[in-house]
Amino acid sequence: METHAIDPQAMMGDEGGARLLLEAHKVTKQFEGLTANRDIDFDIPRNAIVAIIGPNGAGKTTFFNQLTGIYAPTSGSISFDGVDITGMQPHEVAELGIARTYQNIRLFQNMTAIANVQVGRHVRMRGQWFHAIFGTPSIRREEEEVLQRARELLELVGLRRRTENELAKNLSYGDQRRLEVARALASDPKLLLLDEPTAGMNPGETRQMTDFIGRLRRELRLTILLIEHDMKVVMGVSERITVLDYGEKIAEGEPAEIRANPRVIEAYLGKQATA
Amino acid sequence: MRGSASQLRRAISLGLITGAVMLYLVAVGIVLAFSARNTITGVVTLGRLMLAAPPLAAGYVVARRGTDLAPRLVAGLLLGAVSGVIVAAALLFASAVDIRHILVRISPPLLAFLAFDQDASIGALLNLALAAALGLIGAVAAVVPSRVRRPAITGVIGVVVISMLEPFLRPRLTDFKLEGVSRFLFTHKGLSIASAIVVFAIFAVGSIAWPRVRARYRARVAAADPGTQATIRGVTLLLLIVFLLALPQIAGSFLSQVLVFVGLYTLLALGLNIVVGYAGLLDLGYVAFYAVGSYLTALLTSPISSLGVGLPFWVALPIVILGAAVTGLFIGAPVLRLRGDYLAIVTLGFGEIARLLFLSDALKPWFGGTQGILGVPPLFGVAKVSVPILGWQLTGPTLTYYPLLFFCVIAAIVATRLKYSRIGRAWNAMREDEDVAQATGVNVTNYKLLAFALGASVGCLGGAVFATHLASVFPGTFNILVSITVLSIIILGGMGSIPGVVVGALALIGLPELLREFAEFKLLVYGGVLVLMMLLRPEGLLPDRVRQQELHEADEEEEPGADGGALTPAEQG
Repeated sequence: METHAIDPQAMMGDEGGARLLLEAHKVTKQFEGLTANRDIDFDIPRNAIVAIIGPNGAGKTTFFNQLTGIYAPTSGSISFDGVDITGMQPHEVAELGIARTYQNIRLFQNMTAIANVQVGRHVRMRGQWFHAIFGTPSIRREEEEVLQRARELLELVGLRRRTENELAKNLSYGDQRRLEVARALASDPKLLLLDEPTAGMNPGETRQMTDFIGRLRRELRLTILLIEHDMKVVMGVSERITVLDYGEKIAEGEPAEIRANPRVIEAYLGKQATA
Repeated sequence: MRGSASQLRRAISLGLITGAVMLYLVAVGIVLAFSARNTITGVVTLGRLMLAAPPLAAGYVVARRGTDLAPRLVAGLLLGAVSGVIVAAALLFASAVDIRHILVRISPPLLAFLAFDQDASIGALLNLALAAALGLIGAVAAVVPSRVRRPAITGVIGVVVISMLEPFLRPRLTDFKLEGVSRFLFTHKGLSIASAIVVFAIFAVGSIAWPRVRARYRARVAAADPGTQATIRGVTLLLLIVFLLALPQIAGSFLSQVLVFVGLYTLLALGLNIVVGYAGLLDLGYVAFYAVGSYLTALLTSPISSLGVGLPFWVALPIVILGAAVTGLFIGAPVLRLRGDYLAIVTLGFGEIARLLFLSDALKPWFGGTQGILGVPPLFGVAKVSVPILGWQLTGPTLTYYPLLFFCVIAAIVATRLKYSRIGRAWNAMREDEDVAQATGVNVTNYKLLAFALGASVGCLGGAVFATHLASVFPGTFNILVSITVLSIIILGGMGSIPGVVVGALALIGLPELLREFAEFKLLVYGGVLVLMMLLRPEGLLPDRVRQQELHEADEEEEPGADGGALTPAEQG
């Protein structure tokens, strides 16, 4: 780890590369006869905020899980920052610079807030077990830097200093969401995947969160992919929206186009209108 | 009024349970076995105390709730009486009907003991009255403020512990020319009434004075300048080291033998703690690494083993550690994808496989089958070491103690450093949520294997020392009970806590060695202790700070002055 402060340069990665940070080509995922994703073409430009929406069971999370290496696609390919990541292990994908949060918060419940963020930093650390056993100067320096960095990140996401030694499970719901973002940011990701970041939040908290997402892009120059269920959230914050339904991409475009697209209205908004 | 009615109902149901527990203790024979030991000569035996513990503890529990004094005391009295009725009824029944062919331990001496050597009907009444009184005393203990309760409980525990230590204390006191003290304290068996009062007073006063002395000391240290603080720390550490080094000389040969066993199991538990406590991999076959450490050491160092190379211990040790680490990888690799219970079952199998391999006829040319391997030379090559200046003669257990202490310290340092590093955090994350840990960038395959290999390396040290201590290895030693015992130590002490491991080993290995009567009931007591721990103090006796937070968040607000590490009478039993 080279930098102490939250330095945008450190987090934005190689700007000189291609315009697209992530490209998925004809991604298909089948589970024993059920096709969860069919021939999905999808890309994310650098420093963009894009969203995937769709009704429940549309295959959003399955797609997400293929991007992060939890599932290997049945066919198709995914490349990230010029590297083919199709079928890579989750920890390898994490090391390349994709970090995520979870729809139903999945923190390391019985670890302290600060330790959660420190684990998030894991992939950027170099200390091995033998360094730890012998307490070498290099690992001590690294540990100090990581502690410092973790504190900065807690501050960035708006967690108070005294919560750092609280167990994650004892934090309030909102603080847990923030902590999850801090943990994801700790790995200096190039791409941040947010799985329904406003789930369970009231309108005020939701606005705070969407503002925060915008800030992350501006200040840390992150590329962000949102999965959302709630159309209103993505309309405000994302510049491009992809709509999935029954595992297929049915529309893609700017929020205004999506809002006007008859297929989307039928698949998605129509459902909401009747609800 | 509804509140007190429900409290009485609770008293009756707890009383029934308490009575059942007392009957159980009597029927398995543990009470009679311990009644051979006098705690205070002519007044009370350990067996009697053991039988008194359940109503006392239950009376305390039932009277902790509620606000009004009278209903709480009545609840305790009622509870004791209910449990007494059960015992009394059982006594009358067993005296009238011979049930020895079903419950073999219900012997005439037991019935006589239970009836206080009186007629059965009088004995029954005595039991009823005594249990009711004990329930009431328990309730009183709950009612009085903790500044009264705490010294009283500490005093009682002090009396019990000192009396239990009599067989070891007496000869040591004589050796150190303190026959006067010995003669005052102990009659031929147990404490005298006068000495019991003195011991009680010393412990009670100690429990009052100790927190104050400690608080004042801490305040002084905190007020001192950093240089002085460092000096104080250094001196404390030095005193601890001197104490640990001199311990076998103070303890004598028999207690040193006990210390060696405690040390061995501490070492094993420190190793297993890495696998179970840190990484959350429930390994029930840990004995395999102990066996591998022992056998490899025997093979490499014994001149009459199948290899016959007769290497010096310290040359063989790196090879042994490496061998154990490789075994750890071999056992770890097939179970990488297994979680929780499945992992436990498969590792249980591996532990047995290891034992059977060492036992097998097919591998007899190497491992010697049932005969094992003999002729393992002592650790330092010589059986006796004289320490100049101090004039100590180190031999047998007093000699083995030192390398064990050394290994334990090394293992504790290694474990602590790992725990507070990137590696320890990755293990903890894996324990919490394997999928998320992996998505966060933890290579779970490597980290699981690392935990197995490091755990194995620490465990094999125990095996290595064990082989040299006994001068031989036999497959029979390495049975599944070793794995279970080591796991129990970790659970009792507190998962992931290093001081907890030491305390756990002292309690589960040291105590049974001191109480020979325990041997027969060892497993029963282990089981009982584990159940009680899970109910009363699931985080262990000396828990890791974080883990204590994890399990006791809610209670903290309820009772700020919760009894720290003090054992309740029930746990003592």
